[in-house]
Amino acid sequence: MDEQKKSALEIIKSYDGPKLRIMEVCGTHTHEIFRLGIRKILPKNIELISGPGCPVCVTPVGFIDEAVLLALEHHVTICTFGDLIRVPGTKMSLAGARTEGAKIQVVYTPLDAVDYAAEHPEEQVVFLSVGFETTTPSSCLAVKNAKLQQLDNFSILTANKTMPNAYQALKGSADAFLYPGHVNAITGEEECQKLANDGVISGVIAGFTAKELLTALAVIIEKSKTGRPYFVNCYPRVVRSYGNPAARKVIAEVMEACDSEWRGLGVIPMSGMKLKEAYKDYDARIKFELPEIKGKPNPACRCGDVLQGKCKPSDCKVFGKGCTPQHPVGACMVSNEGSCSAYYQYGME
Amino acid sequence: MCVGLAAKVVGVKNGMAVVDASGAKRKVSAELIEELEPGDYVMVHAGIAIAKITDDDASETDEIMEML
Repeated sequence: MDEQKKSALEIIKSYDGPKLRIMEVCGTHTHEIFRLGIRKILPKNIELISGPGCPVCVTPVGFIDEAVLLALEHHVTICTFGDLIRVPGTKMSLAGARTEGAKIQVVYTPLDAVDYAAEHPEEQVVFLSVGFETTTPSSCLAVKNAKLQQLDNFSILTANKTMPNAYQALKGSADAFLYPGHVNAITGEEECQKLANDGVISGVIAGFTAKELLTALAVIIEKSKTGRPYFVNCYPRVVRSYGNPAARKVIAEVMEACDSEWRGLGVIPMSGMKLKEAYKDYDARIKFELPEIKGKPNPACRCGDVLQGKCKPSDCKVFGKGCTPQHPVGACMVSNEGSCSAYYQYGME
Repeated sequence: MCVGLAAKVVGVKNGMAVVDASGAKRKVSAELIEELEPGDYVMVHAGIAIAKITDDDASETDEIMEML
């Protein structure tokens, strides 16, 4: 172990101040913190809370119901990131729809969905567009590419989300945020800096290696001792202060802000993205005249409380019993980035 | 789905880049990065390079700890 990491470790291990609640707002942070064993070295007065940083986990039940409806009633081909397939809807998941004849294609990127549509002009193709600021640019590029190719058999079902208003909604849930480094690679530092300047909440942008995570936690501990709101970019090798202007430009060209429902958090005003009028031909809700669908989550599932830090996954009655990665009841058990999945995988109580 | 992948650029052509991530090669969109060249490192998300990066986290964390 080198001197630098030891120093961060010493700061963390020797912390004996007031209770410090730190929320990871990134599913990959949750997973890496478990995988690296960082939770096991924390003193008792530091609590890590796994927040709503996994896009699959925050996607509401009604969105899955819309996708199932498109697949089974409108007979479209659904292109999706693989994680979404096993997320339970009100009646069934997309995996369940597949057993009833739905055509579901897993893609690595929305750009692959456009290629699929171009290669299969006889099929109507809908890409399930979920994700935060990191994945939204790829959906926007896909729609632009489809328009450029004049494809009339491609559209997207949007559930894209943006973080700033979610931070506001969660401000009482923790003393500091571990900001999602790759969201900030797009958005830059400004919004997080403003949250600290306005006294809303403190936080640091964190990377994903052991060194980066330990350093970020050490910075939170040291800065918290001052009693003043703070913001530090602890991931400057990836996150520039100005973010990625080209990515923000393509988002602004293709999408606009809208109210959005988050699983467990309800509707957060202006926390989602939808296609602009100029791209409405690529909006699956408009194209297929979808009715408004209110999904009904399984009442036994406490994903919503988990996402807000109100309980640990292991506090949920179905955790590890009726709800396992093989047979998930809630979205947080489906994705590898979900906190229930991480608790289950790493045997945390 | 939201996992970023650090990768080395081995080729750039027509807005696309071929990247090498621990030996696995893949074509990704380079439309959102200016002046990308072979040898650069990028962070890839959902098939798109979202940031040019340095591949070493040591000097980064050294500087931050010195600030404390």
